[in-house]
Amino acid sequence: MQVRERHVAGLFSSKTTCCLALNKVCATRFQLWLEDCLMDLRLTETQNMFKKVAADFVKAEAPSHLLTQWFRTKETFLPNLYSKAAELGWLGMLIPEQYGGGGTSFTDCAVVFEELGRAPVPGPLFSSGVLSALLVLEGGSEEQKKSILPEICSGKSIVIGAITDGGNHWGPEAVETRLTKTSDGFVLDGAKRFVYDAQGANGFICAARMDDGQITLIVVDRRSRGVSVAPQVGFMASVCEVHFDRVQVTNSNVLGEAGAGWQTIDRALEKALPILCAYKVGACQEIFDFTAEYTRTRVVFGQPIGRFQRVQDHCVDLSIHLDAARYLTYETLWMLDSGLPATASVHEAKAVASEAYYQACNFAHMVFAGPGTDYQHPLMAHSVLAHTLYQYLGTPLHHKRKMMDILYPTGDK
Amino acid sequence: MDFNVRTDPPHLGDFRKEVRVWLQENMSGSEHLRWSAGWSTRDNEEEYQFRRDLGRKLGRKGWLFPMFPVEYGGGGFTIDHQLVLDTELDRYGLGLSHVFYTTAHIVAPVILKWGTEEQRREFLPPLTRAEITVWELLTEPQGGSDVATCYTRAIKDGDFYVVTGQKVMVGYRSPDALFTLVCTNPSKPRHENLSWLHIPGNLPGITIQPMYLMMGLKNSVFFDNVRVPAKYLVGGENNGWRVANTHLELEQGGGGQVGTNALIDRVVEYCQQTRVGRKSLIEGTNTRDIIADMIIELHTVSLMERRNFWHRFVRQPHPYGGVQFRYYQRMVRLRNAERLHQIMGCDALVPNPSVHEEVDFEYVVRSGPGRLHGGGTLDTDRVVFARRVGLGRPTKEKAPETI
Repeated sequence: MQVRERHVAGLFSSKTTCCLALNKVCATRFQLWLEDCLMDLRLTETQNMFKKVAADFVKAEAPSHLLTQWFRTKETFLPNLYSKAAELGWLGMLIPEQYGGGGTSFTDCAVVFEELGRAPVPGPLFSSGVLSALLVLEGGSEEQKKSILPEICSGKSIVIGAITDGGNHWGPEAVETRLTKTSDGFVLDGAKRFVYDAQGANGFICAARMDDGQITLIVVDRRSRGVSVAPQVGFMASVCEVHFDRVQVTNSNVLGEAGAGWQTIDRALEKALPILCAYKVGACQEIFDFTAEYTRTRVVFGQPIGRFQRVQDHCVDLSIHLDAARYLTYETLWMLDSGLPATASVHEAKAVASEAYYQACNFAHMVFAGPGTDYQHPLMAHSVLAHTLYQYLGTPLHHKRKMMDILYPTGDK
Repeated sequence: MDFNVRTDPPHLGDFRKEVRVWLQENMSGSEHLRWSAGWSTRDNEEEYQFRRDLGRKLGRKGWLFPMFPVEYGGGGFTIDHQLVLDTELDRYGLGLSHVFYTTAHIVAPVILKWGTEEQRREFLPPLTRAEITVWELLTEPQGGSDVATCYTRAIKDGDFYVVTGQKVMVGYRSPDALFTLVCTNPSKPRHENLSWLHIPGNLPGITIQPMYLMMGLKNSVFFDNVRVPAKYLVGGENNGWRVANTHLELEQGGGGQVGTNALIDRVVEYCQQTRVGRKSLIEGTNTRDIIADMIIELHTVSLMERRNFWHRFVRQPHPYGGVQFRYYQRMVRLRNAERLHQIMGCDALVPNPSVHEEVDFEYVVRSGPGRLHGGGTLDTDRVVFARRVGLGRPTKEKAPETI
């Protein structure tokens, strides 16, 4: 990854001192000295282009009336939409080109996902296209990378991580599914709950515990005997139980090295989580925007409700969650793109973005009141998703504690 | 997006090295001084004089207002140079807007933006060279944050304005210049009757009385038929409300900053060194959870400030960033005050004069309730936010531009 991408090609970077009098600043010279600056909060030209393409995609493929219907009927895996995303190159953006990926920077990928989060576009674009792809990249053998990654990137394979067995804890301790050695391979036996985006999967990366207590990742075809998927009902979206009933697997199903499963998960998450955070930032931005607009159009008690200071206060609090998530996330992305150590920042950003999405919905509900609880309003799609993603891959409290463990390790960690 | 503030691009050359070496030379001998915060209780004469002197030295180099034009005492530099100076000063717990006690960092941009050429040439150099202190006077006893309710009258009499009235919560020590909001036409409606006078502090009729407040020394200033030459009126007669929006933006957080926060280091150090039973505090889950929230909130405050700094100095002021930051910072201070109580008990209430006041636990605790209102209350922050975002209204108020 380049430390700093060249902004607009063709402009020279030498700096003269800035123009002196305020009202004589010339726009072109001004533009010149923004190049090669310390600190620059603009997006690059490439990123602006990605953003526009993604925004157009959302408008065309995930309009509000369809989107609210999908979330209401829990029909959140849409093969056509997924194929179109694949054609645009949005699966495997972070994967090197040699494996069929886009080879983009973290920030480039995040910009796309931020726009997708605004809708929110459902489907395993993140869970397969980003997370599972990274699990294979970080943990797989060279042969596995060559055979699995191109299919994930093309959309032909939809691979979903089935990691923790229960739903009330994120961590290696929550892996109880067993992987037992047999004469010609292994038997995989257990059940995973709250598996996000399992509906459309044709393969799983299952975390299982071996006899020696170590965790191994197993790549399993959904059609294998003993694998079954059942949607879970509740105030959540795109969540299933996945059962592995004495599924026969061989050595070749082991992703990379046996026993190195959780280390692979940690390495993949460090790169994947900031993309998920960007998706949540987009969601918060959309919620803020449509809430602010509602304060202008909803007239009760004789005036637009945005005139009432209590309503204004909800919007202030919403904006704080939004911007905390935005700047922490994009700073973390910059650190990853710059090759700076970012592990603590990733945990921090995940905690804040999850909390932000959740609270943004709460504040929007305060402003929208009744109409905001109607499933025909996108706020309901966001609410259900925000609750789901609050838990997905670790709660805010989990990640804050992980952040502290890195910043201030104690003896027993 | 690039958040780098430390690794310099080539065009800055040796500027950072030059600044670092210069500061090392000029700060040496100051290690024993009890560094005070921006709004401080400490009254240390030696520290005050050292910092006044530092200000003068920075001012002579054009480093105090680096982006101001050279003819007004600035450095004629870019945002990058400003960043370098601020980050290097931050290593000493200082920043360009707080080298010594004055509100020049608010008043000077206002004069730069609204003053006539003669006013800029006459009023700016003493400020940019740190030869004088200047305080801005808005608050009156009856009006509070409602600065448009201004009873301090300035009535034209020939070539003078005759000023009578009272301002409160002003400055720290006696200022050399008083940048004052006055009412120049009582018969006109609110917002159309205000003006700014850049009043020399030594004019007859000015009385300054100390006010001893939770956050330190402030003053009441009484004007008794003070005759101020008309040339000191800045920004046009009865145009004062528009002028005020510039400086209120800077006070309300639009100024931005790039400093770091050393409070967490001191809190963690305390927790590492303090044992309860066999464990040190830093090992306790509850303590760690509290510190995690402090870290995240202070980091967020600093990113918001950096965002505002960037937007301001590239002249694309963030529409609501200033007031959002200031409101949030105030709420964070309130929460951190209570967090210190929770972490360290009574030790949070005892001052430690040997550390910089900004990281002194007792100061931080007092700052929670004490700093909710400076430059306008936390509620005015949210009212301005609503106007900038256009909540409940079809238009969005524009954020003013300053450097």
